[in-house]
Amino acid sequence: MYKGLAHSFLLAVTLAGGLISQSVLAADQVTYQLDWLPGGDKSPVYVGVQEGFFADEGLEVSIASGRGSTDAITKIATGQADIGSADIGALMAAKAQDGSLPVKAVYSIFNQAPHAFFTLAKNDISEMTDMEGKKVATSPFTSSNAFLPLVLKENGMAEDAVQLTKADPGALGPMLMNGSTDAIIAWVTNIALFADQAKATGNELVVLPWSDAGLELYSSSLVASERFLNERPDVARRFIRAFDKSLKFTSENPRKAAEALHSMVPEVDVDVATAQIGDTMELVMNDVSQRDGVGALTKERVALTWDWVSQAEKLSDDALDPETVIDRTLLKAL
Amino acid sequence: MRLTLPEGRARASLLMAAPWLFFLALILLWELVCRAFALPEYVLPAPSAIVEAFFKVEMSRWFTHLWATLKVALMGFAASILVAIPVAIAMMRSELLSRTLYPLLVVIQSTPVVAVAPLIIVLMGSDDPSRVLITCLLTFFPLVVSTATGINETPEELVELSRSLDAPLRRETWQIRIPYAIPHIFSGLRVAITLAIIGAVVAEFVAAEEGLGYFIQFSTSFFRIPQAFAGLFFLAVVSLLLFKSVQWSQQLFFPWSLPRKGSH
Repeated sequence: MYKGLAHSFLLAVTLAGGLISQSVLAADQVTYQLDWLPGGDKSPVYVGVQEGFFADEGLEVSIASGRGSTDAITKIATGQADIGSADIGALMAAKAQDGSLPVKAVYSIFNQAPHAFFTLAKNDISEMTDMEGKKVATSPFTSSNAFLPLVLKENGMAEDAVQLTKADPGALGPMLMNGSTDAIIAWVTNIALFADQAKATGNELVVLPWSDAGLELYSSSLVASERFLNERPDVARRFIRAFDKSLKFTSENPRKAAEALHSMVPEVDVDVATAQIGDTMELVMNDVSQRDGVGALTKERVALTWDWVSQAEKLSDDALDPETVIDRTLLKAL
Repeated sequence: MRLTLPEGRARASLLMAAPWLFFLALILLWELVCRAFALPEYVLPAPSAIVEAFFKVEMSRWFTHLWATLKVALMGFAASILVAIPVAIAMMRSELLSRTLYPLLVVIQSTPVVAVAPLIIVLMGSDDPSRVLITCLLTFFPLVVSTATGINETPEELVELSRSLDAPLRRETWQIRIPYAIPHIFSGLRVAITLAIIGAVVAEFVAAEEGLGYFIQFSTSFFRIPQAFAGLFFLAVVSLLLFKSVQWSQQLFFPWSLPRKGSH
């Protein structure tokens, strides 16, 4: 008798469990495309998964790593992913060349340019104008390269005022430390990594962010396929709500965010990722976000971004109406 | 042959030990150079630092990455065997086919896979099938060439004999030409298996979430150079083992096809 009861209880539990997993299965699937390998700067989406922000909105998000903004945009355009992160400048440049590209920017993640000169204290470079005639190393494919001549011009130097060499991204740090270059071009999201290298060789790292030198623009943004936005608008709205929450959580709890990332990508070191998040959040939470709000894509700054991008990519100013790459419906849903 | 037995043994064990001793000496020299010149880890990590980095990564992670790479490499390898050997046989049988296909094969082989890989990923998605295709593209050419060479090198007398006995083409192929081609096929397989690992790694560099190639790329993106080296060595060991297992399977299944002892 008791055994029978126990059995039916077990049966009920199993059935209930089955129902719960059914409802999990019924969650809407979203594929999120990163524009690079996982790292502290990419942690918000991992936070959303680990902290259950996506699950709360009935979403099941899978994350795919990428190999650059163009790669991410291509994968989103071809439907391999629904939404992801990419440089809005790369999207504008791509759209200027092919207006039919079915991808839109829906939310800004970095409202400042991440590009910077990195140098060592002993090299006596403390402001932009000190760069004149210096040896600078950069990686061949970074979007920073296109902005370099503009930043130099903005600071009253000739476009070829520095001696530029190209090298593999992994080689830049060592080149700076062993003195084969005076400065390198890198993203401020990696300050902690380079600072560690500098410390290990008894040096002190100096960073000159290009955003301080006049480069005012949006960079890394959430971009989505038009198909995702048109065919699953409700899923897209729920996604953006959860992402917004995750981004703010990451900013407030960098260490927890790093742990969330580590639990999904065990190769990422929690300390390193925490430091990266700290550096990254400067690009997210700052004067601009205080003025316009987190994630905002204001008409003025979008126009300003296109201004810089069109000059950097040597495109004519009327090659694109920058408003055509923007879709603000999701921002309004926040 | 004046060598007496003990000397023969000593010689044999010296031959056995030589590659290991040489390898060990190289590692020691490497360690010494790193320490003597105090080279920073990110320039050239010492072997001791690489070993340390290897054990810092959990074994289960190593196996996840290993399995991801191995799976793609072996599937690509198997697919290229399935494609290459029938193609080689077909090309042997028909001159028209041989003339038609050969230029195409050469074109495929001389196109750098690294350049085509991103296009394949865009066309076919970033899952295993595209990685297997990338691997297969890299591995099947040496197999076609070696199989075709082997088939063509069958002594004419034997072929004529079988024809004079009215043996059907199928028997001529399977019982005379293929067995003659076995040594060539295996030398092709040995080249192909190392290429299969390279193919899998190339594919992982373009799109992957796990695998040893991905792991190496990931480690350099965090400037963890000793860890990247550890991944590289692990990859080399796996590649060596696979190479050896092709040799072992030849010894096991086709011992008659091996060159006689004493020759190199």
